[in-house]
Amino acid sequence: MILQGQAFEPFTREPIRLIGDGGEWLGPFDLDLEPARLRGFYTDMLLGRLVDERMTRLHRQGKTSFVAPSAGHEAAQVGLAHAVQPGHDWLYPYYRDVSLVLSFGVPLVEFVGQVMGTRADPAKARQMPYHPGSGDLNVFTVASPIASHIPAAVGTALAMKLAGKSQVVLCSFGDGATSEGDWHAGVNLAGAQGAPIVFACENNGYAISVDLKKQTGSDNIAVKGHAYGMPGYLVDGMDVLASYYVTREAVKRAREGVGPSLVELVVYRYGGHSSADDDSRYRPRQEVEAWRRRDPLARFRRFLERRGLWDDADEEQARAEGEARLDAAVAEAEAAGPAPLEWMFEDVYAEVPERLAKQREELDA
Amino acid sequence: MSLQTMAQAVAATLDSEMARDDSVLVIGEDVGKRGGVFLATDKLFEKYGPDRVIDSPLSEAAIIGAALGMAVYGFRPVAEIQFADYVFPGFDQLVSQVAKLRYRSGGAFTAPMVVRMPAGGGVRGGHHHSQNPDAHFVHTAGLKVVYPSTPSDAAGLLRAAIRDDDPVIVMEPKRLYRAVKEPVPEGDHVIPLGEAAVRREGDDVVLVSYGGSMAETMKAADALQEQGIGAHVLDLRSLQPWDEGAVLEAAARVGRVVLVSESPRMAGFMSEVSATIVEEVMDSLLAPPMRVTGFDVPYPYAQDREYMPSPNRILRAVERVLSY
Repeated sequence: MILQGQAFEPFTREPIRLIGDGGEWLGPFDLDLEPARLRGFYTDMLLGRLVDERMTRLHRQGKTSFVAPSAGHEAAQVGLAHAVQPGHDWLYPYYRDVSLVLSFGVPLVEFVGQVMGTRADPAKARQMPYHPGSGDLNVFTVASPIASHIPAAVGTALAMKLAGKSQVVLCSFGDGATSEGDWHAGVNLAGAQGAPIVFACENNGYAISVDLKKQTGSDNIAVKGHAYGMPGYLVDGMDVLASYYVTREAVKRAREGVGPSLVELVVYRYGGHSSADDDSRYRPRQEVEAWRRRDPLARFRRFLERRGLWDDADEEQARAEGEARLDAAVAEAEAAGPAPLEWMFEDVYAEVPERLAKQREELDA
Repeated sequence: MSLQTMAQAVAATLDSEMARDDSVLVIGEDVGKRGGVFLATDKLFEKYGPDRVIDSPLSEAAIIGAALGMAVYGFRPVAEIQFADYVFPGFDQLVSQVAKLRYRSGGAFTAPMVVRMPAGGGVRGGHHHSQNPDAHFVHTAGLKVVYPSTPSDAAGLLRAAIRDDDPVIVMEPKRLYRAVKEPVPEGDHVIPLGEAAVRREGDDVVLVSYGGSMAETMKAADALQEQGIGAHVLDLRSLQPWDEGAVLEAAARVGRVVLVSESPRMAGFMSEVSATIVEEVMDSLLAPPMRVTGFDVPYPYAQDREYMPSPNRILRAVERVLSY
């Protein structure tokens, strides 16, 4: 076992890092990931970045009403996704988790269909963009109210424990979510019941414009785990391998019935909160530029290059493949056509009640 | 058949549903060893253990949210909120998550769960132990709401709610928990959601009520009978869906309707019933429908009885529709 039975230290003062700025391996253990898997981490991150760019373009073209930029979060999200088992474990993501849900297996056309609100959205275009989900993959459909998914995530983890199938819930959220009552309600219940769940906080330092110092008096988010009876890990979320390995440890802990963990992934969002935000009102440009020099893709690319696992030709090819996949997904989502009127009245209840059927008739002129 | 109070009928129904279906479980504050503060989960903990009778932390958001997460996974949780007045910390869970899950996920995820809560006045509890927040729930698309008034209905509606594939709020009139005992059928005693019960037949005035106010409504009907006035009394039992057919048929036939609910009047459920009657059978009405409700004040402590519709207030409303 790669960690020789040694878990990462919880509650460190500095974020856990496994890749240095120059791409050097800093880990106190040997890597146990195959080259193909490492390259896969990178292409997953790259796809996330390309999706971000493409959706922003679609927004400018008027083909979607809203974008929640995720550039800067890719390493954290890809690390999280690879630490759990698609088809077995459950995700309870939040709206910025583009790379997380795509790396977990949500088909790109379903994501794009949801963003564009067409018939290609398997959830029938009921929610605003950036609210993906998948019944097939056990990806709980994203809801807007911050932290409102957290108590339910714990409930699913408790259900898994009852069912005895060694499954785990991975529940993610931003730093702002940790101020909500529902966050406390859920994390507290998980601690009290020893639920098999990993809480992942993608801390990008801002809840829209409010910075972390105004969000909490705590030194960081990870330290809050202490009060709930679970380890809290402070992790460099711009480091995909640190994100992956720490989460993998936390998942193992949950799967073996030891209990929940809180993983804080320190990241930065390069874009605004959303396409409706003007982040220049609250973030100095020097700060954004400083974080851009720590780009998670660039750092992991240097790591791969040092090991001879990536070069310019690979980069060019991966970008071309990603763009081609996006071309196809956007074309398919568009061709699916607009959401039909009937969808407005279905799925409120298992059966359409008579009262709703009558209200539907009001739309027939 | 055995003679049961409403609280006993609830506990017995939970017991039989848990015995029938392993996926049914109970979660709430004090539902375990204590058996619930009203004993509505009495002896379940001893029989089914802590995995299926879960004593939750003191957190309504955790109770309702966790129940949702278990329902999504395939269980059929019955959550208990100790008093309806305390549902509000969990209200966001109900409104944002539970009610909308089927819709917003396009049917990928559903919430077959029940949230039970003792509601209503008559126990001298002041506003934080007496409210009747039914209108909040019926206003939220995606929830079903039932409100029984008898032990037998409490059993039959709860059983229907547990077996339903949509989330159902079960409001239980706490002042009637131990008011009467009546024979409660066992086995598959199910009362379909959305069916009103005719409590008395009559041709002079229609009285429509539900939940705790049924007791006062029946007293008013008795008094009318002594005066030779025949009241047709409907117990709605379900508020969402509600039995429009039974109400409209009676309203059209009799032409005079009094609507009784102990919830506040402003935008209360009976306002919806009244509007529907006027929209659908205006031509058959002999008088405008009258509401007799709780007042638009926070539920008071000292005037616990006066707040609720009394038989006298109901009779005065009947006089007005008869003399219109």
